[in-house]
Amino acid sequence: MGGKVSCTLGEVKNRADFILYWGGNPAECHPRHFTKYTIMQKGKFLPEGRKGRTMVLVDIRETMSVKAADIFLQVRPGKDFEVITALRALVKGNRVDTALVEETGLKLEQLQDLVDRMKRCKFGVIFFGMGLSMTRGKHMNSAAVLTLAAEMNAFTKFVAMPMRGHGNVAGADMVLRWTTGYPFGVNLCRGFPRFNPGEFSTVDLLVRGDIDAAFVLGADPGATMPQPGIDTLARVPTIVLDPKVTHTSRLARVHITTSVTGISSPGTAYRMDEVPLPLRPVLKSPYPSDEEVVRRIIAAVDKKTAWLPRPETMSSGVA
Amino acid sequence: MPGKRYSMNAGRTTKQGQQINVGKDGAEYQAIVNTIHMNVDDMKEAGITAGSNVRVISEQGEAVFLCQEGKVPPGIIFVPYGPPTCRLMGQITDGTGMPTSKGWEVEVEPIASK
Repeated sequence: MGGKVSCTLGEVKNRADFILYWGGNPAECHPRHFTKYTIMQKGKFLPEGRKGRTMVLVDIRETMSVKAADIFLQVRPGKDFEVITALRALVKGNRVDTALVEETGLKLEQLQDLVDRMKRCKFGVIFFGMGLSMTRGKHMNSAAVLTLAAEMNAFTKFVAMPMRGHGNVAGADMVLRWTTGYPFGVNLCRGFPRFNPGEFSTVDLLVRGDIDAAFVLGADPGATMPQPGIDTLARVPTIVLDPKVTHTSRLARVHITTSVTGISSPGTAYRMDEVPLPLRPVLKSPYPSDEEVVRRIIAAVDKKTAWLPRPETMSSGVA
Repeated sequence: MPGKRYSMNAGRTTKQGQQINVGKDGAEYQAIVNTIHMNVDDMKEAGITAGSNVRVISEQGEAVFLCQEGKVPPGIIFVPYGPPTCRLMGQITDGTGMPTSKGWEVEVEPIASK
């Protein structure tokens, strides 16, 4: 397993005749996804628009997105990995036990029909959401979906793409990737990047209380993280850059009000297909941008004496 | 004696997303993130009336929510995530860096109205 077979949303719009949403509710969480990129648009190779596309939704509950789907598969909570594994077996023509499939809340015929449709399409895409990546199985579920998409390329063109959550979260991943080589959970304490999710990732560091200061930029962990992590942020000196008063800014020692990126200050945001888009501000703000504040903090820190002892000032300790 | 266990799933809704940008201090945001949605039959079985307060208890902590009927399968609870769910959510990331934000095992008990 490994790697992501993906494409841009422009390709989805122009080519995808089979769209599978797994563990996501785009009708509510990504309201422009259907209309701009996936099912409603007429594409270069899909002149019929919606009529030329098949949309399948896999979820544990009937969300608002069900209305837009041609097929809805209601899977039991925590059984996604089993369903994906059964699909991978069926794609390869292997025998799958009916009873095992039924434990997932689905029927073998439903999965076989799904596989047949996937193989018949010209360009298939799987969009997977946090219903898959933040539930039991976590990254193994994501890896299984990416593998399914990769294996489908033996039959037809098939790609997979995560449905990202907060604004420009793809941007944070991308910048960390091209600066350190890793997308998140990066430790620079030794002067070079080290990656270890579970050890250096934000939630783990906060919950364990392994930090003695926090700098929060464009996030509100005080309203989203597990409670022990929030308690850590309240205990240590926390600095927050945010245009608004948030749960995190209330527990922070310092809150610097900044302008809203994309509305009052320029910048670059990465779309969830990892295409960078320049942002043009439309309003003026009396507040500085996040970038300006961070640059000024870096300049101020640079003026301070290094906390590490310099080699020339160290005694050898040898008589 | 342990009560019936439900699978609690925190997620997002359009109204919640709108209110995050309006402001998290607003009464509307507070109402959204403090309301859970349960299956009608589950509510009957647990003796919960729609619009009443319930105490939700997970391994990590507990929080009080307003309970409404929702279009969810039996055994499942849906809640738009927010400050109250922080007290219930899993704290261990299983080495992934990702907290368990969905599928927590919880118990629900009605709170008698005064």
